[in-house]
Amino acid sequence: MNRLSLNGTIANSRIAAARVGIGGPVGSGKTALVERLIPALLKRGVDLAVITNDLVTAEDAERIRRSGLIDPARVSAVEAGACPHTVIREDPTLNIEAADELERRFPGVELILLESGGDNLASTFSRDLTDFWMFVIDVAGGDDIPRKRGPGVIRADLLVINKVDLAPHVGVDLARMHQEALGVRDNRPVLLTDCRRGEGIDTVVDLLEREVLFRT
Amino acid sequence: MLFDRLQALALLQLGDSAYPAGGFAFSWGIEGLAADGMLANRNELDRVIADQLTRRWATMDRILLRKAFRARNCKAIAEVDRLTEAGTPSAEMRDGSRRAGRALLGVWVKLEGPLSIAYRDQVSADARLGHLPIAQAVVGRDAGFSLDAAELVSGWTLVTGLVSAAVRLGIIGHIEAQQSQAAARGLLGELLADTPGADALPASFTPFIDIAVSRGPLRHVRMFTT
Repeated sequence: MNRLSLNGTIANSRIAAARVGIGGPVGSGKTALVERLIPALLKRGVDLAVITNDLVTAEDAERIRRSGLIDPARVSAVEAGACPHTVIREDPTLNIEAADELERRFPGVELILLESGGDNLASTFSRDLTDFWMFVIDVAGGDDIPRKRGPGVIRADLLVINKVDLAPHVGVDLARMHQEALGVRDNRPVLLTDCRRGEGIDTVVDLLEREVLFRT
Repeated sequence: MLFDRLQALALLQLGDSAYPAGGFAFSWGIEGLAADGMLANRNELDRVIADQLTRRWATMDRILLRKAFRARNCKAIAEVDRLTEAGTPSAEMRDGSRRAGRALLGVWVKLEGPLSIAYRDQVSADARLGHLPIAQAVVGRDAGFSLDAAELVSGWTLVTGLVSAAVRLGIIGHIEAQQSQAAARGLLGELLADTPGADALPASFTPFIDIAVSRGPLRHVRMFTT
């Protein structure tokens, strides 16, 4: 985040990158969301880097590196030691070091996306690690997920409901699921996406530009 | 009173397996040995822990920690750090040691440890620096530890890290973990009772562990950094 002195000028010559966490259950579409956010953010001129927390393999990092969407050197992988929640919450030091290292290697990077390994509804990000974090669930996981009120669903700065195209095929009333999510979150942001087709991505990027990068 | 309560509490805090310095992500060969079929039960784990303690920690990490703990300034600490780099043949072991050391140092920079802050500047400017035993010496000094206490925490966090990795890999259960820790505690106590000479040179001989760590990047399934 920008550090401003009292008279409103930038206090440090180097501005730290904003760090955005992306958490959520296994298979909810976190990596797919990252793959959609990268080109959308780059198109808007955001200087970007990515960290993945792979639970078992380097699959996610390699998938993003090979995607051709971003310079592979700007993608770092942090092994989670079989503890996906520990590495983003109780002990985020390895992720902090990875983010610091990306900032050292790429001075001027504005935004670092930090994808968590697949976890459960109780996973949350440490505020020492991220400035903003989103939680990704999907309709195929069941329309009762918001009602279960997991800390991820409740406390995230943004809740993303992904795979909305599957709603009619899995018997989910999407409008009701959306309303229930807004209800348990006291009307804090809940956005709908279909990452496979890229639907809803611009709305997520709009929010990141407004709430995280303070561009609008 | 048999011990200094405040020192004991500080040891408990820094020696806690939950201390936020990334220790949970390093198995130091446990994952690789298990994947290669060389580690499948508590007896084998105890042998690996004993190897780690006697053939690596006591003769290598401990010696380097002692040198860094006594170093006059950051430049002298960096010399010991470079010796660590040069004395660790496995690239993956070097990388893991630096990642663990830098994570620990990073915590103490945020805790505003003066030596940690000064040494972090050196580490940031040289990719070869930041090894774990060196960082342990630096933060031990910032924590106000004696050399004995810094060594004890270093050895004990290695033990808890190995045992914790074995539990998460399903090699042992939580009761067996306590038995392994008790056995390792006895061994660590014996090793600490023997003071190395001031001219002791760092050396290690843990070929199976080194190979297991070095093969890490080749494994498709991998949960730990080392």
